[in-house]
Amino acid sequence: MKSAPFEHHEPTTVDEAVSLLESLDDPTILAGGQSLVPMLRFRLANPDVVVDINGIDSLDYLREEDGHLRVGALARHADVAESDVIDEKYGSFADAAPLVADPQIRNRGTVVGSVAQADPKGDWGSVLLAHEGEVVARGPDGERAIPAEEFFLLPYDTTLGEDELITEVRVPTPSPNEGSAYHKLKRKTGDYAMAGVGVRLTFDDDGTIESAGIGMTAVDITNARATDAEERLEGERPSPDLFAAAGELAAEQSNPESDEHGGADYKARMVDVLTQRALGDAAERAGTVTVKRRVTQ
Amino acid sequence: MTDEREITLTVNGTEHTVEVEPRRLLVHAIREDLDLTGTHIGCDTGNCGACTVLKDGEPIKSCLMFAAQADGAEILTVEGMEDLPEADGIHPLQEGFREEHGLQCGYCTPGMLMSGKALLDEDPDPDEETIRDAISGNLCRCTGYQNIVRSIEYAADELADRAAADGGAVTADGGASASPEGGHEPPAVGGDADTFCGREDCCGGPSEADPFDREALLDDAEGGNGDAAVDSTDTAVDADDRGDSV
Repeated sequence: MKSAPFEHHEPTTVDEAVSLLESLDDPTILAGGQSLVPMLRFRLANPDVVVDINGIDSLDYLREEDGHLRVGALARHADVAESDVIDEKYGSFADAAPLVADPQIRNRGTVVGSVAQADPKGDWGSVLLAHEGEVVARGPDGERAIPAEEFFLLPYDTTLGEDELITEVRVPTPSPNEGSAYHKLKRKTGDYAMAGVGVRLTFDDDGTIESAGIGMTAVDITNARATDAEERLEGERPSPDLFAAAGELAAEQSNPESDEHGGADYKARMVDVLTQRALGDAAERAGTVTVKRRVTQ
Repeated sequence: MTDEREITLTVNGTEHTVEVEPRRLLVHAIREDLDLTGTHIGCDTGNCGACTVLKDGEPIKSCLMFAAQADGAEILTVEGMEDLPEADGIHPLQEGFREEHGLQCGYCTPGMLMSGKALLDEDPDPDEETIRDAISGNLCRCTGYQNIVRSIEYAADELADRAAADGGAVTADGGASASPEGGHEPPAVGGDADTFCGREDCCGGPSEADPFDREALLDDAEGGNGDAAVDSTDTAVDADDRGDSV
């Protein structure tokens, strides 16, 4: 099926894009297009106007700068997977990037576009939540940074203004005592997550968990934080029992729906398992003790 | 409001100027405007990978991109493979698919070839896991993928052999992959042996014992009648692999 006809704009600067978004009637932003193009073709989306940002070269970056890992709006999933910047320090990014969709889609789809799409089954929202990251948007009134936690409202709905363009997402540069991980359960390459969990653990110098972040994929109406589990972890020393308790709390706080991939109980149980695995990896990457897993791979 | 616009696509080395509506997909421009119907449309949803082409060297799904977005890009489709520098009549990948029975209905094959090409450009000596990952965005409903993996391994070996013959090993391990005994692990699941129909180059066939030792297979075939050669191969598979396959 073909898309309905639309007007195609190709700005080459952020300023130009923002003024187009302000002046045009209900424009839709096209970045990697790996979700939007099928939606247009199935006429699930029928915009009169499409603003294609692929020509804004200044948004094509992925770098550490000003105390953040900054992912520009045109950085593709494959760019993250292949980047020299992304190493064990950014374990959750390194884990998540190769698990997104399939190789062809990773070459086109963007991290920011995936966040903007706000599909509760998207992986990057959980990574951002775990790192307490921000979504940086430019609008007619200038730039603002939206905490990830305040960004996701409903499936496919966010707090982004209609005349705003996300220029980047960013997470704080990890301290040396920090580790992160992302675990995802899916049937096969190309599938969305049945469940996914992103985890960040920041330790103090004594090896106590100072701060924890946990984001969950595909088990609620948006990417969601597992705050009860985070609180349970903070101030404690890592151990299999602690991680098992956190896994259970995350599962309790998740709100999955039964579908063709599995029942709600099963998915909640998978949240428990994935949380424990991700916590184990994060602790190991932080360079603290290796926590023997209670849940075997 | 949907005025057509002029775009330039360099497809298989030839520059084309076409007029497209903004909503025109790249795959439709390739197939219908340029009449290059080797690039297939399988699922129309972005899942199957039959429409995979290389855009500026990277595999992408041409049904998930508008033609206007490819303005100025270099596109490689299956029709261009035989004109690539590494092709000798046909491309080693195409030769691999022929030799290793890497297709049945053939519908996914153009996409598989493009993903295989992108992989070998990046990694001339990929292991099986890497190959499987590289084609994981391409669905095949016939082969079970085993022979497609072997086809790509065949091409990698062929390219390494040629590089060695040209006087320099190109692979990181000094071209060890070109040797029959060093390059290939036996298939993880030897299921083909159970269904082998007795004909060479069919159902996984005699190549099961060592699918890449073609010299030995040819020797076998020449040494007696075909059935005898097949029997001995099948027995060898019995001893080695069959236990794992059930």
